[in-house]
Amino acid sequence: MKRALAAVTLLALTLPTLASAQSEPAEEESKFDPAHEWELQTWGPELKIGPIDMSLNKAVAYLLLGTVVSILIGIVLMRVKAGRDPNRRQALGETIYEVAQVQVAEQGLPTRAIGRWFPYVATLMIFIWTINMIGFIPLPLSDERWEIGGVEIPTLAIFAATSTLSVTLALAFMTFVFTHVEGIRENGAVKYFKSWIPDVPKVMLPLIVPLEILGQFMRLISLSIRLYANMLAGHILILTFIGLIFVLESLVISVLAIPAATIFYLFEVVIVVSIQAYIFAALSAIYIGSAIEPDH
Amino acid sequence: MLSSLSSFTFLAAAEDGADAGKAIALALGIGLGALGAGVGLGNIFGSMIQAVARQPELKGELTGIQWLGFALVEAVVFYGLLGGLLAYVLV
Repeated sequence: MKRALAAVTLLALTLPTLASAQSEPAEEESKFDPAHEWELQTWGPELKIGPIDMSLNKAVAYLLLGTVVSILIGIVLMRVKAGRDPNRRQALGETIYEVAQVQVAEQGLPTRAIGRWFPYVATLMIFIWTINMIGFIPLPLSDERWEIGGVEIPTLAIFAATSTLSVTLALAFMTFVFTHVEGIRENGAVKYFKSWIPDVPKVMLPLIVPLEILGQFMRLISLSIRLYANMLAGHILILTFIGLIFVLESLVISVLAIPAATIFYLFEVVIVVSIQAYIFAALSAIYIGSAIEPDH
Repeated sequence: MLSSLSSFTFLAAAEDGADAGKAIALALGIGLGALGAGVGLGNIFGSMIQAVARQPELKGELTGIQWLGFALVEAVVFYGLLGGLLAYVLV
């Protein structure tokens, strides 16, 4: 199974390389730069509602696709008629549910809040896992066009919506807002904000309190940057190794570059994608849980 | 391949001096960040191995904590990477 996965990945990464190597002379003047992948071009008409840009681009398309796929995962795996001896669909669904409950929700949330916040953290986990995973499947959703038999179709590319900062920042901002809303609702505003102040001598307070307040906002930054930079670095690594072939302009390099890219690809798909989804959901649960019960 | 490599070094030498400086700074920043995270990750996995060797029955509970620590430490490299990239692009 693992070997088959490795072989398929190797092949999948080789094919587009050969194809682009053939079409290379046409675009001689454009220098290879991995950062071009993250320049989002607007597709179709610009939709602007006041200052909010609602127009479609690559990241939005990936997000929409991720939403559809994660809804499908929920319907296909969870809405199973529970039978006496579970089939594979039900078993997989139950495994996901158990990870979401035992590893994520119960780790951070107090027992009385699990009913209310389990849906949120489980959704976060499945949604982030899905968009991370879709980001590593080559899909024809890129900004570049490729001509086959007179028809222009987008080239296959890997791009994750989570490797743009605005997406992860929006996700982290939701957790940030929910944390404080829930903290104020459960404890009352005065008691909740007082719980930020730790037990230290009075002299230290002017020094500690600004740090604690800053710490609350640092959570927002660290939560979003962690996911963003992980996915960005993974994609840049793979792109850079494949891009070496074009920077050095020789196909011989591909003997080294494609296996190296494959190793990083498998590392990202097998380990990083799942861990980042788990971490984001678990930290959200821990933050919300610590706001509900500040003494712990 | 040799000729292409030499042309690559030639290209690199012809680059702007400021760009080269920024590239060195970026690589140095990530390298130092990775140094710290490497020590931290070694600590986490080393402690995990010790803990499991002493009390194998706790493995299931410890695994979650281990991966949490792994991700928290690993993120440090990426703060360095992001800071470096920001400096590289913006400055």
